[in-house]
Amino acid sequence: MPDTQGRGQTAKAKISKMREQEQRARRRRKNLAVSLSVIGVFAVVLAAVFVVNRVSGSQPADIAAGESRYVRADSHKLSVAADGKVTLVEFLDFECEACRAYFPVVEDLRKEYAGKVTFVARYFPLPGHFNGERAARAVEAAAGQGKFEAMYQRMYETQDQWGEKQVPADEVFRGFAQALALDMTAWEKAYNAPATLERINKDVEDGKAVGVAGTPTFFLNGEKIEPQSVDDFKAAIDAALAG
Amino acid sequence: MQHSPAESLTEEAEEAEAGDPFPRLLPWLLAIGGLAGLAAAFTLSVEKIALLKDPAYVPSCSLNPVLSCGSVMNTPQAEAFGFPNPLLGVAGFAIVTTVGVALLAGAALPRWFWLGLQAGVTFGVVFVHWLIYQSLYVIGALCPYCMVVWAVTVPLFWYVTLHNLRRLRTAQSVIEYHAVPLTLWFLAVIAAIGVRFWSYWSTLL
Repeated sequence: MPDTQGRGQTAKAKISKMREQEQRARRRRKNLAVSLSVIGVFAVVLAAVFVVNRVSGSQPADIAAGESRYVRADSHKLSVAADGKVTLVEFLDFECEACRAYFPVVEDLRKEYAGKVTFVARYFPLPGHFNGERAARAVEAAAGQGKFEAMYQRMYETQDQWGEKQVPADEVFRGFAQALALDMTAWEKAYNAPATLERINKDVEDGKAVGVAGTPTFFLNGEKIEPQSVDDFKAAIDAALAG
Repeated sequence: MQHSPAESLTEEAEEAEAGDPFPRLLPWLLAIGGLAGLAAAFTLSVEKIALLKDPAYVPSCSLNPVLSCGSVMNTPQAEAFGFPNPLLGVAGFAIVTTVGVALLAGAALPRWFWLGLQAGVTFGVVFVHWLIYQSLYVIGALCPYCMVVWAVTVPLFWYVTLHNLRRLRTAQSVIEYHAVPLTLWFLAVIAAIGVRFWSYWSTLL
């Protein structure tokens, strides 16, 4: 008799234990199901945002009338030729040492060919340069106040002070903007504005589309040139002017 | 769903009495989460020392302009209390790991001990959210090791809190769906990171 009672109790305990386990499993499933649905909804929203972005993002890359991949309506012209016959486009990165080395050469060419050749600067900050993109943003922010050229020159002249460092050079660039007596509130706003970065990335996209892989890359009337010396440079420009 | 209301009531009452809502999850979370946090904090401390020895040192987690420990570690926010933050992590996560292992070994801890742990994780979670805000919106860079600490601290806080609140009736339904708020939190932070650095991520596509 006591034996059967004991067995009955263990059976009861077993049943209640099984029920408890079952309930726990059910709760766990519900918890998991709701969490996964939340993740699912998030993924769907994310995918939708991507698609919308892709569709709208491909529009600015279209080429408008009077534009080309090399020169856009909003591209910065350092010098303008009266006849617009010859255009030299440089894709550049303010933190790139080779660009820094070409900078005085280009400055001299601008003087020599003043009024004859249009010089265009396009941003192409390389991902390997920590402050390259920041420098481009600083210059673009200055361009908003008509000081593109001054900031462009300042960047190259001071490259050895801020280049090749792995820390943000925001403070340094802010100093440049102050030295140029820019409206600092406006500059700061533009420096941090997503639109500024978009503007730079548009240049980068164009560069990639025409085969720019490194900096500086020069295009003379849409032809890629690789001048090894100042004389090379001049010969190419003279040929274009004569042609 | 198929249960009668009376049945589900007794179910809840049983659970309220049953005590520990996460008898296996919480000890393992404390042990593994604590270890992950400890590893991250320890690595950050070592990187910080390397950076102090040589200011030009590039930390192993400075990968690109956004994922960049160097620019985060050099900020005043990285020494919120006058000394490098990871030192807090090394001490704190070591304790968390030990508590987890003790629970796995079968230790029954008194209420005051749990409340002490609660104080610790609460401080941790507040501090971590301040750091998340600073990293995203003030410094403008992410530090991968720091993000490990974020990802660990929030579940630690969440489950220790639920454990301590288990006797509250209102906590019951939250305990039932314990992973949902946590999932929402993770997605919210991921979304914030995505939005904040959208222009950078989009250049990688």
